[in-house]
Amino acid sequence: MKKFFAQAYVWILLVILYAPILIIAIYSFTEAKVLGNWTGFSFNLYRNVFGGGLNNSLIRAIENTLMIGVISAVLSTLLGTFSAIGIHNLHGRKKKAMTFLNDIPMLNPDIITGISLFVLFVALGVRQGYTTVILAHVSFCTPYVILSILPKLRQMPENLYEAALDLGASPRQAMRKVIIPQIKPGIVSGLILAFTLSIDDFAVTLFTKGNGGLETLSTYIYADARKGGLTPEIRPIMTIIFLTVLILLIIINLRSAKANSIKSDKK
Amino acid sequence: MKKLVATVLALLSGVILCSAADREHTLKIYNWADYIDESLLEEFKGWYKAQTGEDVEIIYQLFDVNEIMLSKIELGHEDFDVVCPSDYIIERMLRQNLLLEIETDFGDTPNYIGGIAPYIRGKFDEIEGSGKNANDYAVGYMWGTTGLLYNTKYVTREEVSSWNCLKDPRFKNKIFIKDAFRDVYTALTIALHKDQIDAGELSLEDITFDASDEYIRLVEDFLNEVKDNVLGWEADFGKEQMTKEKAWINLDWSGDAQWAIEEAEKVGVSLDYEVPHEGSIVWFDGWVIPKYAKNIKAARYFINFLCKPENAVRNMDAIGYVSAVGGEEILDSIIDTVKYAPIDARYFFGEEAGAVCINPIQYPDASIMKRCGMMHDNGDRTEALLKMWSRVKGDNAGMFTYICIAAALVAIALLALLSRRKKHGRRRK
Amino acid sequence: MLMFVVLPLVMIAVYAFTDAAGTLTLDNFRRFFTTSEDLNTFAYSIEVAIITTILCLIIGYPAAWILSNARLNRSKVTVMLFILPMWINMLIRTLATVALFDFLHLPLGEGALIFGMVYNFLPFMIYPIYNTLDKLDNSYIEVAKDLGASPFKVFTKVTIPLSMHGVMSGVMMVFMPTVSTFAIAELLTLNKVKLLGTTIQENVNNGMWNYGAAVALIMLLIIGVTTIFSDKEDTRANETGGLL
Repeated sequence: MKKFFAQAYVWILLVILYAPILIIAIYSFTEAKVLGNWTGFSFNLYRNVFGGGLNNSLIRAIENTLMIGVISAVLSTLLGTFSAIGIHNLHGRKKKAMTFLNDIPMLNPDIITGISLFVLFVALGVRQGYTTVILAHVSFCTPYVILSILPKLRQMPENLYEAALDLGASPRQAMRKVIIPQIKPGIVSGLILAFTLSIDDFAVTLFTKGNGGLETLSTYIYADARKGGLTPEIRPIMTIIFLTVLILLIIINLRSAKANSIKSDKK
Repeated sequence: MKKLVATVLALLSGVILCSAADREHTLKIYNWADYIDESLLEEFKGWYKAQTGEDVEIIYQLFDVNEIMLSKIELGHEDFDVVCPSDYIIERMLRQNLLLEIETDFGDTPNYIGGIAPYIRGKFDEIEGSGKNANDYAVGYMWGTTGLLYNTKYVTREEVSSWNCLKDPRFKNKIFIKDAFRDVYTALTIALHKDQIDAGELSLEDITFDASDEYIRLVEDFLNEVKDNVLGWEADFGKEQMTKEKAWINLDWSGDAQWAIEEAEKVGVSLDYEVPHEGSIVWFDGWVIPKYAKNIKAARYFINFLCKPENAVRNMDAIGYVSAVGGEEILDSIIDTVKYAPIDARYFFGEEAGAVCINPIQYPDASIMKRCGMMHDNGDRTEALLKMWSRVKGDNAGMFTYICIAAALVAIALLALLSRRKKHGRRRK
Repeated sequence: MLMFVVLPLVMIAVYAFTDAAGTLTLDNFRRFFTTSEDLNTFAYSIEVAIITTILCLIIGYPAAWILSNARLNRSKVTVMLFILPMWINMLIRTLATVALFDFLHLPLGEGALIFGMVYNFLPFMIYPIYNTLDKLDNSYIEVAKDLGASPFKVFTKVTIPLSMHGVMSGVMMVFMPTVSTFAIAELLTLNKVKLLGTTIQENVNNGMWNYGAAVALIMLLIIGVTTIFSDKEDTRANETGGLL
């Protein structure tokens, strides 16, 4: 009974979370430019997507978004993990100062972060483009990574690291074999958060993308909305991307479930 | 691990350096999204090669806010070769010496820039660029008006021919106002001075350059009477809501109106657009070459290429806005005697166009256009305008807000107290 | 890291304390505290952020608890499912939410705003809590049970205190961005409701960076002070509460 309620709760939440996406998917089968208007069932938008009736800027924007998302998520996870461990090992006032410092980029409206980074890059004379966008993304994703790892570190028994050292592990080994596995769930969720933030970001990208013709999906969509409304082909594209990820996830799930059952069989 | 990071960074910077290398054969275009027929970009390369014998690669970048584009050029010194800002930004850039003169001698290539309608040229003359004439520095691209998009089922044409319809209690919660303070302010100042304009006491230019406290108050009073009817201060998405009949009247741009009318037709909603007869604004976007441009030649040829009548028509078809290029070729392509009633479009197409059947949303009748002024850069007064705008839009915080904040503060304090108590208690034990 | 956190902050401060011509001034701050609209917007943004955070916590905590409970949820993928919707671009997602409200004939406005906020930030609450709960040492709970605590008592006296860090992280991740977002408010209330993010955006979009920076800095300071305050209690509670 309890299990039923619990699962019902989770599933209701999920249904609500997925409802808007379902709307996107449904309306990808009609041609109307306005989301929410139904002008009859048609595959035309899908045909346009696959038939090359799509302008190049949009496709390039999607590629860029994914590339930047992956690279900056990986980089900020690396950086965030080390910083989190560093912060964790600090004490007293220093620790408090660092935690506060870490909160700043999160609290700062992204447009202000964008402007200040823009001014910074201009002042330093850095050419803006791919690299600056990634650097900027890393700088605002890292705090989220740190914030999702710190609680795990705090949960870890304090003397674990020393114990590993006492047992003859080198500091590197202790790090790799003891600490990292302990905080791995934090790292993974940090990575996912960072990726999510990166692909959704608009304001920071806008100011750091430079003038090399670099667009991400967000900047494209915002610019697109300004004159003449959104390109309707975005709907099928989103649906396809979403379904791909979902199916991948389910496959992974089935696999791991199988692996699990095999493991338990062996036991 | 660090090595990996370093390699990735090195690779990335390599990519950037490569793309930046061949600058003199690259043209950097900075434009609004959906504001050009993108196949023209490809064609330009061939055309440029044929005209000048030189190769050119195109980098095409989009922007969505004029001011952000401006700050990128002004502060970032980014080297875009050709940019498409709006009228008042052209004015500001001209005043700040950010623009280069556009040389119109193209040798053997015909000069299509001359095809820009005299009306547009006349309006560009009005741009106050501290002594410089905007026609030497900017070439009109698209233009339109600001007016009222309305649902014909609930609202009549007579009603929307006057701005006063916005105050009509019948339209409570049925009105969208575009969240564009400059447009609304300028349109309303012109409308509210209709009598003085007709009597010849004030010219459109006198009014549109004025952002004095007195004028601002006048507009603010009007807007305060409208406020109760307003369903929302839409930014970009009002036109979509109009097709869903969420509101009946939307203060909007003509280009958006055209788009909404076509979209609404597909779902059986009938919308129309009218510029109120008291007067309104006419706006332009134009191509300019910023001071930091590197490939000025290609930029000039690109502007010329876009002014070629057949390309202008293609752009109009692709994006739904109205080209600044005039002349017979354009006129011939847009006349539709079945769909439209004749209007007086002499102001745009010259003497023969006294009664031509063209889309009145795109080209309003001359009687309306004579009371349409243009927006200007208000300089220091922008802040006062913005303040007025946020006063009109009003506040949302009420008693509940403060109770809520107070409650949260008390809760935090209590928690803090509680945890301290606990510790205290434990220590005593 | 220092470079990307501190330097931009310095830049903001420089902008906040200067005017458009670059001279040193406090005008930006004076303007904020004398403009009743802006103060009002600020209070309102805080209210929305508080409500959103509380709602996220109320909805998110049980979800995180269920997800982390091995008996109730065996698959890690369900956890992933919660963040997946966020991979659709926010603007499109919010537009779809608008369409959804239309579809259900619900009015847009404050209710829609809160829904949109909670919808957008819920994963940021669930994740950190889930993380702490997931690896929670089950032996504590067993011990508590063995000592005769009722399930309710176990939950309130053991589970909740032990997951406090995750809750704090989640609260931060939700509260801070909600104060400064603007796109959600713009679309879901038809721009009738103004948040602090909107004010900043409006000023920046009109070239008034200095004022925008000042508002951002004020926001930063006020919220910074509250976090330091609560953090202090928190860390102290940690140092002594470790035994529990």
